[in-house]
Amino acid sequence: MSTAREQIFSRVRAALAPLPERTARPVFSKDVAEPHWLVAEVDALALFQKRAEATGTKCFTDLESCSAWLRSQGVRTVYIPAPLTRLAALCSEFCEVTSNYTRARVNEIDAAFTPAAGAIAESGSIILSDESTPDRLAALAPWHHIALVSRAEIHRTIADAIAAMPDDSNLIWVTGPSKTADVEGILIQGVHGPGAQACLIL
Amino acid sequence: MTQSPARPTGRTVQLMATCLCDAFFDDVAKATVEVLEHAGCEVEFPENQTCCGQPAFNCGDWPASREVMRHTTRVFEGDKPVIVPSGSCAAMLFHGAPLEFEKEKDLPTVQKLANRTWELADFLVNGLGIEKWPGRFPARVAFHRACHTRGTGSGEAALKLLQSIDRLEVIPFGEAEQCCGFGGTFSVSFPHVSSSMGCLKLEHMTAVNPDFIVSGDMSCLMHLGGLADRGGQPVKTLHFAQILQTALHRHG
Amino acid sequence: MAEQKVELFARRLDRGVQQAVHNNSAAGTEKRYSILGKDYSAPDDLRRLAGQIRQHAIEHLDTYLEQAEQSLKRQGAHVHYAVTAEDACRAVSNILKKAGAKKVVKSKSMISEEIHLNDHLGSMDIESVETDLGEYIIQIDGDHPSHIVKPIIHKNRRDIAKSFEREGLGDYNDDPETITRRARVFMRDKYLQADAGITGANFVSAETGRLVLVTNEGNSRFCLAAPKIHIALVGIEKVIPSDAELAVLLNLLGRSATGQQLTVYTEFINGPARTDRPSGPQEMHVIFVDNQRSQILASDCREILRCIRCGACLNVCPVYRQASGHAYRSVYPGPVGAVLSPLLAGKNFKELADLPKASSLCGACNEVCPVDIPIPDLLLKLRNRGHEEHAPSPGTPPMGAFAKLASSPMLWRFAMKSNKVMNLVPLEKLPLPYLQPWLKTRTLPEWRGGEFRSWIKDRRKK
Repeated sequence: MSTAREQIFSRVRAALAPLPERTARPVFSKDVAEPHWLVAEVDALALFQKRAEATGTKCFTDLESCSAWLRSQGVRTVYIPAPLTRLAALCSEFCEVTSNYTRARVNEIDAAFTPAAGAIAESGSIILSDESTPDRLAALAPWHHIALVSRAEIHRTIADAIAAMPDDSNLIWVTGPSKTADVEGILIQGVHGPGAQACLIL
Repeated sequence: MTQSPARPTGRTVQLMATCLCDAFFDDVAKATVEVLEHAGCEVEFPENQTCCGQPAFNCGDWPASREVMRHTTRVFEGDKPVIVPSGSCAAMLFHGAPLEFEKEKDLPTVQKLANRTWELADFLVNGLGIEKWPGRFPARVAFHRACHTRGTGSGEAALKLLQSIDRLEVIPFGEAEQCCGFGGTFSVSFPHVSSSMGCLKLEHMTAVNPDFIVSGDMSCLMHLGGLADRGGQPVKTLHFAQILQTALHRHG
Repeated sequence: MAEQKVELFARRLDRGVQQAVHNNSAAGTEKRYSILGKDYSAPDDLRRLAGQIRQHAIEHLDTYLEQAEQSLKRQGAHVHYAVTAEDACRAVSNILKKAGAKKVVKSKSMISEEIHLNDHLGSMDIESVETDLGEYIIQIDGDHPSHIVKPIIHKNRRDIAKSFEREGLGDYNDDPETITRRARVFMRDKYLQADAGITGANFVSAETGRLVLVTNEGNSRFCLAAPKIHIALVGIEKVIPSDAELAVLLNLLGRSATGQQLTVYTEFINGPARTDRPSGPQEMHVIFVDNQRSQILASDCREILRCIRCGACLNVCPVYRQASGHAYRSVYPGPVGAVLSPLLAGKNFKELADLPKASSLCGACNEVCPVDIPIPDLLLKLRNRGHEEHAPSPGTPPMGAFAKLASSPMLWRFAMKSNKVMNLVPLEKLPLPYLQPWLKTRTLPEWRGGEFRSWIKDRRKK
């Protein structure tokens, strides 16, 4: 008796055998799907900020304004990875700072900083990887998530970002805060993921 | 729907009047003849023509449709351009027929006819190179581009001709890309959906106050006109060939 | 005379629901058109390229499926195959049972609806909660999605508020923001307590084994943040050659589905957790599901397998806008459903053979399809098949007599002339089965058969 795998493969082969010819693999240039306005945008950082803001991600380029924003948002507990001592010092002026993200405190921690693995200028997306953000929940569960993006790691285009994906990395591109329009087509932010998405570009 | 790139463009043409014009709209067929003659064509009308077979094709009765198409290929033998004042009948000849004959031995015969087929506006503008139509027709016109002309040059060609006529204004209206709801036998097998689609189209068109509702397909106009009539607010419909013909008579 | 089922449904549809479906769909169509026009000078070229990519992929499925399996295994995922829907359900529950998993969180997956996974898991005493807001509401209502991307466009806030109250999520409150916040809080617990997360996959890259998942809510990510086991249900046709093709496909998917360049979350899953990257599920299972797809591949309608489930065809379809999704009586509504659903029904094809007829063949669906599927041609082929298999078709006039008439020029010319008698008869009073549906809402023009023929004959004489 053949296995499911054998059955499926033999059906697939039988289905394709009679084709007089098969569609060749299309050859296309890397930039074939780039929006035409991209060509004029020479500054990747400026483009990233523009596209990020357009998709709802707040951009900060210094620690002070970022922590001031958190303060204005009424954040009470923030997760900051241990090495970021200056940031921790700034935030501890107005809220509790923890360097320990635990499941037990998922609903208490209302803001979290996690390092990003890069960004994409074309779409204003933040790239998070399991290597850079060890706890997936830290980037996902808090209402406020701030990704730490390094200027040097901003890819210009989506195609560039894809070409640069490491062979065996789990990645997620974050383009703005979590949202839904399921209820009567009305857009609401902050469904399961963050309702406020930001990045701190250093 | 891609058409053969090298369709014949001679000035002796064969007219396929379409079964709808045969039955209901002789005015449109007459206008088509006059328009083609004005464009310098000699128009032949093979009198054994009947129908393109689309009704049976759309119902899924491909054997019946093929029977009719075989008759049609015999009637329109030769090399001359075949001109059709209907986007849907033209599409049946150049797209539907090759599809239903895909596995048939006489596919080449059908393909030959397909490669000679032109919808009227497409022929005038892209076949004969006409850029401006003479005469005048002072009116506000809502132009409905029939669905079967998607992917062809017909819609643009008809618009070009209409817009080139002195004093004629083509008025845009909402949701213009949406189907009128005729769809052949769809109109009688899904009458509620078909009529709802048509009423929605009429709403958008009448909202811009056109003097005429114009199309290159009498099927759409028969459906829209019939709906408006039954609904108590009749509209004036014209095939664009009739506008071209009338403009000619007002020349000078 | 019996009515077509989609017609009957449309006729009885609540006007408010029909308006909501129409408006939502029209808005979706406009957003798609707007962003494609803003970003590309020749979007149709891109669609055709994407179509070729997908066609190439399915025509080489023997190679790419095998390659995908190898890549997935290399990344540490377990790969399973399921021939039928039942096999797929059992494969899922076997994995869960083996791991002692009792609680599951699910991200939106059309194929899981196809195989009726939640019913099966329920019968095995395994709790499976839909985490996509729309799908969750469908689940608690015992309802079915009416759109493949926007499952509850047929519901309003009052319906949802009542359901939430009934479900114990709080007192009646129909404010959309409140509804959404309540779902957020409720679902959080479910994510954190779940043993397994079940997802679908938008694409699988054969070259790297990457699964691609796109959402706006972040629910699929949450399903893979806390639970220890990940099960991905993937139709065999979802395989693409490599990551490079994603640059084309991802650029079209968001724009076509919701008018976005990219959805909020674009997830690339490349195997389970490892010692050097301990996040995410520790166990990953990919179940490749056939469920008639290999049969469809063998048929002359294989192009439908290109579909990337964007829903653009639903949004633009004038029939879908009138009838709404439930009229299609199957998991996939709209134009894609009218082709896919009868084919997925396998030997029960005839039960859904009416769906391909619920179309005016306007072709708008093909025009918006990001992978250029020739849907009207496929609908026609399925109508031919329905005719050959004698599937019932109320309201469709038989064509045999018409064909005879249209092949006999003399008979035809005679009929043209003699039908003039119709002008003297009150047609509405006659029990003519195919004429009455026309005459109910439309007048018929005057019969003028023979007029043109005599005119042109006279003209030639001159």
